[in-house]
Amino acid sequence: MSSFSFLDSGLGLTVVVFLPLISAIFIFLIPKKQEMLIKLITLGSAIVAFLVSLVVALQFDFNDAADLQLGTKVSWISSINSNYEIGIDGISLPLLLLSTFISVLAIIYSFEHLPEPKNAKGMMSLILILETGMNGTFVALDLILFFVFFELVLLPMYFMIGIWGDKTVRSVSGLKNDIETRLYASIKFFVFTLFGSAFMLLGFLGLYFRGNKTFSIPELIELGTNGAFTGTFATLVFAVLFLGFAVKVPMWPLHTWLPDAHTAAPTVGSVLLAAILLKLGSYGFVRIALPILPEQAVAWAPAIAILSAIGIIYGSLACLAQTDLKRLIAFSSVGHMGFVMLGISSLTSIGINAAMIGMVAHGIITGLLFFVSGSMSHTYHTRDMGRLGGNMKLLPKTGAILAFTAMASLGLPGLAGFWGEFMALLGAYNPLPGLNVTIFRSSMVAGAIGTVLTAGYLLWMLQRVNLGEPKEEWIDQELHDADNYELVAWIPLVILTVLIGVFPKLIFGATNDAVIALVAKAFGG
Amino acid sequence: MTIVSAISLDLLLPRKLKYIVALVSILGSLIAFVPIIFQYANYSSPEILFEGSYVIDKFSLILKGLFILVTYLTFLLSVNFVESDEYYQGEYYFLLLSSLLGALVVTSSRDLLTMFIGIELASTPMFLLSGWKKGDQKSNEGSIKFFLLGVLSASLILYGFSLLYGVTGKLVFSDIANTLIQSDLNQSPVTLLSAILILAGIGFKISIVPFHSWAPDTYEGAPLPVTAYLSVSSKATGFVALIILISKVFYASGQGLGIILVFISGITMFVGNLSALQQTNPVRLLAYSSIAQAGFILAPMAVAGITGNYEDGVYASVTYLIIYAFMNIGAFLVINLLQRNIQSDDMYDWGGLAREMPLAGIFAVIFFFSLAGIPPLGGWFAKFVVFRSLLSTGEIFGVSLGIVGAINAVIALVYYSRISKIIWMDSPSENIKSNNDTLIPSPLRVVGFVSLILTIVSGIFPGIFSNLGEASSIFFNS
Repeated sequence: MSSFSFLDSGLGLTVVVFLPLISAIFIFLIPKKQEMLIKLITLGSAIVAFLVSLVVALQFDFNDAADLQLGTKVSWISSINSNYEIGIDGISLPLLLLSTFISVLAIIYSFEHLPEPKNAKGMMSLILILETGMNGTFVALDLILFFVFFELVLLPMYFMIGIWGDKTVRSVSGLKNDIETRLYASIKFFVFTLFGSAFMLLGFLGLYFRGNKTFSIPELIELGTNGAFTGTFATLVFAVLFLGFAVKVPMWPLHTWLPDAHTAAPTVGSVLLAAILLKLGSYGFVRIALPILPEQAVAWAPAIAILSAIGIIYGSLACLAQTDLKRLIAFSSVGHMGFVMLGISSLTSIGINAAMIGMVAHGIITGLLFFVSGSMSHTYHTRDMGRLGGNMKLLPKTGAILAFTAMASLGLPGLAGFWGEFMALLGAYNPLPGLNVTIFRSSMVAGAIGTVLTAGYLLWMLQRVNLGEPKEEWIDQELHDADNYELVAWIPLVILTVLIGVFPKLIFGATNDAVIALVAKAFGG
Repeated sequence: MTIVSAISLDLLLPRKLKYIVALVSILGSLIAFVPIIFQYANYSSPEILFEGSYVIDKFSLILKGLFILVTYLTFLLSVNFVESDEYYQGEYYFLLLSSLLGALVVTSSRDLLTMFIGIELASTPMFLLSGWKKGDQKSNEGSIKFFLLGVLSASLILYGFSLLYGVTGKLVFSDIANTLIQSDLNQSPVTLLSAILILAGIGFKISIVPFHSWAPDTYEGAPLPVTAYLSVSSKATGFVALIILISKVFYASGQGLGIILVFISGITMFVGNLSALQQTNPVRLLAYSSIAQAGFILAPMAVAGITGNYEDGVYASVTYLIIYAFMNIGAFLVINLLQRNIQSDDMYDWGGLAREMPLAGIFAVIFFFSLAGIPPLGGWFAKFVVFRSLLSTGEIFGVSLGIVGAINAVIALVYYSRISKIIWMDSPSENIKSNNDTLIPSPLRVVGFVSLILTIVSGIFPGIFSNLGEASSIFFNS
């Protein structure tokens, strides 16, 4: 790929990260009435970002996937020795591609499906700012840079939920007056995440002062794996990093913002939230918490495994109790991310590989589920599964994709969701030597029960929503099945689900070497 | 020397004329900026005047630049405001300029007398300005409160200063510190008493708990531009004085003062934030928020008092002061703009305003979330340097204050997000006048864009503050 060698020194990644932001600023300057122009610029820049990320992937040397590549390091804030240090390895590459890809699909979907109050200019610029934050987090190799990108996603998502979100009024315990769902959900999302990340920043500073005054992640990993961070200090730092990342994942019991945010968010918001934003947390564990504080990772692993197992069971049981379609999918995310965290907590290469493919698969599948359910709630004007039914007959295309995605989500072998769950359980069966096997095997059993429950609630959901005869209220109504914009956004995800299911090497080919190197370096396993 | 004369000239000019006063003041403050830049570019070593009483170094130049720029922005904020009322324009500008002169003197003052004169010159005009709306009861009440407490604070400072002078017989700070150390008086009760008196006096100026009670009333009563000036420039003047005193005199007196300051700083954050949560009047909200922000600005100096790491402390406090100045002026501008559309003291009346005023809406998002410290807006870096200096030695008071700060950052988000929530997300109010954005007068636009650019640039390229680190080390070592 020598023809693209000019992208070597970080330029490619820089374009991927900042092109969306620059387009967003550009869009601010275009009058609101030029709606088509705004949409086209947004789509164009997202596609260019995606193509550049593909070129970057082609240039990426997969034989050397454990090393950080195609990056650069330029002085940024000299007074605190923080640099614009970026790069990708096998762990971040799949997530970066996922992020640029889903952004394109989200924009295509929003072409014709903006909820009230339309305002394409606002929505498009928010999606673009969000994309910069997501892409940036996956390529940042400096803690402060990471922090800035990690936080950059908050404002756009807050406004996305708050402005375009669900307007039904609900009562919230502890509040005197009833409040619109979107307003409650948006501030809850914001406060929870900020709470985690404010403490995370303190942790970063702790690492900085103990670790030669550097914020560079590779340098800190070097120091960390050589035992530079120990004792109470390390425990505290891991605790605050855990807080910051676990809120984002979200792990039980810090998950309560998630169902609210997902239910209230507009379709595009839920998709981006589920597909990418949740990954920022689990990626943070793999990129930062584990390799920099390996000793603490070992100490905390059983606790993380237990919390993940509770998350899996809790998420599934909560799903069984839902009547709201979107809320059900939101709780299923808690369960699926539980598998990801269970994989990570095993601290083995199998487990972390499982987490990586689990993240990508969850991004694709749950993203698609939110697309479909969002579109359905738009068509039916309700998400109440008690009122839905016979969807297969009313909206055959949407129904078919919903059925397919639900199968993928419950972990049907041959589809993408299978590998993450299966291998996470495998990892938990044989955790890193030295970890308490009983705890991990119990977590594994809990996880296995979770897969059964997952199958249960998803099939039940299909039965209530998709099968059967349509309810009377829908029969005489004109309901629109998926239009072309929707199909263009959905079909690629269906294809990817099958491809990754059949050729998991698409992901493992990138992640495996990097994960093995990480485990070997940090845990000697 | 050049600087002092240039500025005084600028200041003396506008006294006479009436209508062009505004213009002259605005131009004057811009022109005064020129010698500052000039001097900064040609800077080689600190200039020491009047046997050490008055020092012009990088530190003071940066702060002088800040004060002049803030006053300039306040003038722009005031133009339409003062014209719309039938008050005395000439006096208004003269008083603000006098206050500016005081602030400029404080930045360079290195002895007791100069500093006292500077502080009082900076704050006395504000007593008058805060009561500017003569017919308004709230304005009168606020101004009387401010005046009485201001006089009390002046006398406390003076008493503290006189104790220091009585003990050491010296006026210049470095001599005082040396004498204190040599005669082993640095830990004595008299020194601590004078420190506490001075702290209480300056505490009124910077509105830290428990000396904060005047602020919300005065802020609410004063004309909006004056409030902006009070919350930015007056506060900064007090802080500069405190920073100079702590790092030039009281560094010698051990950790006692530092520990007191740590508690004050933490309590200030909590009181300010928790009170701000309950406000529906936007100006009172900003008043309490500025109390909480004072806690943040104080924090690095407090911890420096314990750890002795003054260089980091000064750097963090001053960086915070500078970023805070612009985002807070921006926040007041937003309130000014919104009030032009719907005249109301209750921000819940502003529902959906951003749809008619998208520019004001964007300003609101940028400035208020910057105050909350959300990256990539400038406020994050301000919070970051404060946390950095708090944790720098891993000392227990610093770490605890860091945790308190982190909790407060989250509390603050709730009320800082409120205005954006109301104007962007709530259903439109009936009283909205449409298409108001085009009616924003150009001076206000300038204020908005200048603050906007400074807020965003300082968030994305915080490297521009690296000079400040150097400046604070020169300041501390000179």
